Amino acid sequence: MSKMKQMILVLGIVVSLVACSKDDNSGTSTVVETITVNNLPADTIIGITPGAPPTGGFPYGAGRYTFYSLETNKIVPASDSASNKWDLAFKGTTIATNSGNSGPGGAGAFVFVGLFNDLKTIPTDSSFRVDNAPSAFAITTGSNRGWYVYDGINQLVTPIPGRVLVVRTASGKYAKVEILNYYKGGTTPATTASDAIKLTTQRYYTFRFSFQPNGTKTF
Amino acid sequence: MMKWMFLSAISSCFFTTVFAQQQDTLSGNGAITVFTATKTERALSNIAVPVQIISQKTIQQAGSLRLSDILSEQTGLFMTNGFGTGVSMQGLNPDYTLILIDGEPLIGRTSGVLDLKRITVGNIKQIEIVRGPSSSLYGSEAMAGVINIITDKSRKNTLGVSARYGTYNTADFSLRGSIRTNKINYQGFGNFYRTDGFSIRPNSRERSVAPIERFTQQHNLGYRFNDRTNLSFNIRHNSETIKNNITVINNGNSINSIGVEKNKDLNATLQLSHKINDQVKNTTRLYGTQFQSSQELISDNGVPYLDVFKQQFARIENQTDVHVNKQLEFNLGGGYIHETANSTRYDNSTSIKTNRIGYIYLQSEWRALNKLTFIGGARYDHNELFAAAFSPKLALQYKVNSTLSLKASVGRGFKAPDFRQLYLNFTNTAAGSYSVFGSVEAQKIINELNRIGQISSLEPSFYQLSNLQPEFSTGFNLGGSYQNEQWHITANIFRNNIENLIDSRLVAYKTGGAQIFSYLNVKNAFTQGVETDIKYRYNKQWSLSAGYQFLLTGDQAEINAINDGKVFTRDQNGFSRKMDRSEYVGLPNRSKHMANLKLQYDYQNFFANTRALYRSRWATTDTDGNGIFNTNDAFAKGYIQLNMAAGQSFNNGLSVQAGIDNVLNYTDVLNLPNLPGRTFYLSISYNFLNKNPK
Repeated sequence: MSKMKQMILVLGIVVSLVACSKDDNSGTSTVVETITVNNLPADTIIGITPGAPPTGGFPYGAGRYTFYSLETNKIVPASDSASNKWDLAFKGTTIATNSGNSGPGGAGAFVFVGLFNDLKTIPTDSSFRVDNAPSAFAITTGSNRGWYVYDGINQLVTPIPGRVLVVRTASGKYAKVEILNYYKGGTTPATTASDAIKLTTQRYYTFRFSFQPNGTKTF
Repeated sequence: MMKWMFLSAISSCFFTTVFAQQQDTLSGNGAITVFTATKTERALSNIAVPVQIISQKTIQQAGSLRLSDILSEQTGLFMTNGFGTGVSMQGLNPDYTLILIDGEPLIGRTSGVLDLKRITVGNIKQIEIVRGPSSSLYGSEAMAGVINIITDKSRKNTLGVSARYGTYNTADFSLRGSIRTNKINYQGFGNFYRTDGFSIRPNSRERSVAPIERFTQQHNLGYRFNDRTNLSFNIRHNSETIKNNITVINNGNSINSIGVEKNKDLNATLQLSHKINDQVKNTTRLYGTQFQSSQELISDNGVPYLDVFKQQFARIENQTDVHVNKQLEFNLGGGYIHETANSTRYDNSTSIKTNRIGYIYLQSEWRALNKLTFIGGARYDHNELFAAAFSPKLALQYKVNSTLSLKASVGRGFKAPDFRQLYLNFTNTAAGSYSVFGSVEAQKIINELNRIGQISSLEPSFYQLSNLQPEFSTGFNLGGSYQNEQWHITANIFRNNIENLIDSRLVAYKTGGAQIFSYLNVKNAFTQGVETDIKYRYNKQWSLSAGYQFLLTGDQAEINAINDGKVFTRDQNGFSRKMDRSEYVGLPNRSKHMANLKLQYDYQNFFANTRALYRSRWATTDTDGNGIFNTNDAFAKGYIQLNMAAGQSFNNGLSVQAGIDNVLNYTDVLNLPNLPGRTFYLSISYNFLNKNPK
């Protein structure tokens, strides 16, 4: 019961997290907004399993995804998880797309190596991956494989700079996403910070994205 | 010359070597002989490669107890933390410097690091440091260079004691004695060292340096058959006991364990040298050494942990020195090594891993002109477990005039993969349950785990696993030295190209997310820089010396990626941006600038000195996530350490010395856990006996 309460509490905190900013996009005909989302919780930690590794000592959350719509720039309630209403879902370091085994939508994604602003048009030969084909998630999970690295010594997750998640939304439009930070307030704790701080502030995403509503692959 | 011999023999006294100051470094350079650079006795002034000598007097006047103490005060050397105290030379990791005692290698490295705190300096006559790859004479590990510790050999009848006490109940006692007759000579040495250790981390149960006790004894027995034939036997035993109190913190859970770590070294050498005639000398050396380490821990909740490692190394070597004429000399040698190891960290602790190496080497020295000397040499190591290694070296020295000489050398060094890199089978249950498997084991174990469904994914590196190859370096050294009555200046430019570096790589994930690492030959790196030493004698009392090293390091693949625009970092908004080449700092834990300054005052039997050591900042952690060390990452602060000592000796054989280390009380809990704050010590030594033999 208490876990349930905590989960509701966590979900309840998710308000007023959205900030907007206009990007300098001079010289291009299509001007797409770049929006920064702050402090998006992603199954924040509510406890640590009892005991010591390898059997215990692992932090855990409620095990729930936070569903997000890039089209509407809003959190989508979990009750709508089996719908086309969301594009990306966040749980810990895992980012699911509304596709394949994760949802009924036609979403897809791949990780582009380069700068957010340099990705003006999605290359025509890009191939979007979907969840569960060929691997569990279109956005590869694991340290140094998709969007982040995990520093096992300091137990910190850092988004890899120069990684852009190129997303096809559930409705078949296109967006690009750059994960900026994984910790509350958009600041990674110092390597010397206490474990308590590292645990309580993690699993809060800060990311920026551009969504192209006209269906083209140009931002 | 007689005076030099006479004085260096008085090993047991702290201060008698003060009298020998004119033999040290400055005017008496020609009298100092070096063994390490050519594997034969040579005058220091005739050595074509960069060599540095640390005299007994320097060691004593610095108040050093352990080898790392005195090495840390030398230009371009810095001590590393973790798995003991190792030495980094010319920017290479401690793995790549060969440590010798009387020409024989020390074994017992943990994660590549030979803990220099295991070695007492109490019976060291001099330390010889050869920079640049030296595998052409010494084989594996001599990639960055060689540090050879030459211990005292008796020339007189002596008996002496010394004692020292300082902060943290750090105490050190030594007993020395020697006997010399026409046929037989014996030198004995015993040392006891203990410390309470210390903690610079507030409110921590775990100590930065744990309480330690160490016993060292060394005995050397020589027998002179006749003027041509000598036999000597040398045995050294070292044991240390460390009382550990370890706290492992994982996700906020802290697990305390207490226990005892024991390390034991045993070294024995039997040497027979025979002068066949005035031109040919033959030396046979039989060397055996064993290192044994055990760590027993028990956690607060009663979980026991036992870690045992045992390594043995036996070698027979024969060397023939041929003095053809005044212009030409050559040395031909060969040997056989039998090496074994077993550990609880391998697949099972009773399975003994073996490696056998056969090698030959040849070196020739040719004095082409009066001013110009060439040294050429090469060594071939045939290895049972890996590919053979061929290590050539070429050096030349040009004496421009009596004060100025130039040196140039190029050589190749290698390091054979060690047992750990081949056979490790270790899972750290205390920290995230990650596993490290040696390259021989990795494929076998992972394939088996995969078969039973315990592997969730194989990483690209898994498919690159193959037989490990030796790591290689090619070193270039170009330098000069200038020396007159007051000045002695040496400068050396170096560049080391390191290929085939072995590094650990993530090769697979277990189901549940635990990571599996193994070892691959993956990296090419370089180190380059300038090292320079200046000694200036103002007058009979005052002298000043200064050293400086400028160091640049890098990984060629990383530089290529940066130049190709494939490396990114973040701007102040947290947005990615391209990283510039100028932001690259190269390999972590390296300081670009290192310097030392020593002011020394000598008057009759009194001395005083002040030594300052400086290291500029060094990169510690990749915090921006790009996998490369750049200016946007975390650095340890640059710092200055100041040490002082003063002493007085008396004619009756008594001498006293006092010192303060780290006068400025500089500490860095995170990056310099082995550096205590300010410490004090007082030492006293007395010679009961100091007589020339009958």
